[in-house]
Amino acid sequence: MRVSNMSFRYRRRDPWVLSDVELTFAPGDVTEIVGRNGAGKSTLLRLLAGLLTPVDGTISGRPPVVGYAPERFPAEQPFTVAGYLRRMADIRRADPREVETWAGRLGMEHLLGHRLPDLSKGSAHKVGLVQALLCGPGLLILDEPFAGLDAATRAELPVIIGEVAERGGMVVVSDHQGDLRGIPGLRRVEVGGTTARDLGRVDEGVDEGKGKGADETAGPDDPGTADPGEAEAVTLLEVTVAVSRARELADRLRGEGHTVRVSEAEVAK
Amino acid sequence: MIALTRFRIAAYVRSHRAFQPLIGLLILLAILHGARIPAGAELGAMADSAAILIPVFAWAARGLLDSEPDEQRMISITAVGRREAVAGIVAAWIFNAGLAAISFAALASRLSDRPEVAAVLAGVGLHLLAILAGTTLGALTSRPILGSPAASTLTLLLGYLAVLLLSLSGQPWLTVPVMTWMREAHHGELLAHFPAVAAWSLLWPVLGLAAYARLRRSRP
Repeated sequence: MRVSNMSFRYRRRDPWVLSDVELTFAPGDVTEIVGRNGAGKSTLLRLLAGLLTPVDGTISGRPPVVGYAPERFPAEQPFTVAGYLRRMADIRRADPREVETWAGRLGMEHLLGHRLPDLSKGSAHKVGLVQALLCGPGLLILDEPFAGLDAATRAELPVIIGEVAERGGMVVVSDHQGDLRGIPGLRRVEVGGTTARDLGRVDEGVDEGKGKGADETAGPDDPGTADPGEAEAVTLLEVTVAVSRARELADRLRGEGHTVRVSEAEVAK
Repeated sequence: MIALTRFRIAAYVRSHRAFQPLIGLLILLAILHGARIPAGAELGAMADSAAILIPVFAWAARGLLDSEPDEQRMISITAVGRREAVAGIVAAWIFNAGLAAISFAALASRLSDRPEVAAVLAGVGLHLLAILAGTTLGALTSRPILGSPAASTLTLLLGYLAVLLLSLSGQPWLTVPVMTWMREAHHGELLAHFPAVAAWSLLWPVLGLAAYARLRRSRP
């Protein structure tokens, strides 16, 4: 998929949200979109998903099947979780049995009979993820997919994203929390100052010729950007945590690609 | 697209928002058909019914289109592409056809005599034209086009008022000629002119739907 010279603004007299954006996405790419709040990340995702039309420039080669999970899943709909997802499978012409499969993977089988408006924020977010995954997307767009998820799902989602990429799908994710760092070959695109810059692959370090250096991009909205030299250095971090939360935290850290050892004797006590 | 149309109708009916235009319709029917319809006045009664129900159809169409949250509409667009807008309009037509059927049943219950087949067919045709006009007005005032609920309600009501006033004026060709429907039906002239009146009544809704489709391209 190729984004060529793309510019976008919402109304004729509004300032440009994005201008002269040039990006390329290959099958199997997992791309993390980073940038400050209000920089235009969600707008870029909506343009890539085909929800918005560029004012100038083009987006070509978009795969025919697009899965899109918005930042806030609209839970105020008069259906049960199962009823909603089966209808989405019907609209997508997907196998309705996929609903149970994906619900199981995201740990929400017990929620299938619940009404959507009764769900917590995290559970509603999982419904949004399942509907995006049901169709076997060639392009999967996830807007802040880790927000509000429990530790087990935070650990599982990068695995699912990796599987979509392995079968040739493109995955584009906006993420403030760095949960994708464990994915090999992760690409990073920074949105800011009305443009989007390809910073290259995270595990190879950023391409300084394409945009800012690593030191400039690191920050609260851009976790995990590391200098390639520093990436090899390892240190030991000791964390004190309530016993009841130890496993959850360990799972989360493992999901982020860290090596974690938990004192089993302490947990057993 | 059929599955999305079913989904949108189900969401609207289950949300209970569908009761609002239904209650409005029942109030109008009670006023319209309070007295029995004398023999020979059936087509006039049907033309009155079709013209008066346009704002109810517009209200229902706007309600159906707006009952879907914005993010869900985005999910629907990624699922079926630009046919999402078509699915919404078709869902509104189907729901409004249900309202028109209720109105027809109420009208039939107040007839004094069996009407001519031609008059019944023309009455059905006028109701179909009213559904088309009302749905178009509702679509053009729905949230993707007019974000403010106050501006949307005002535009819907003023739009219907403009249709009435323009069709009363010397240039009724500027709008859907609802006053012509009623006048010609009551004077026994409608059946002779029905094809021309129908074609003229189709023109503005078709132009309105084209404008809606164009606006939706930049307003998902």
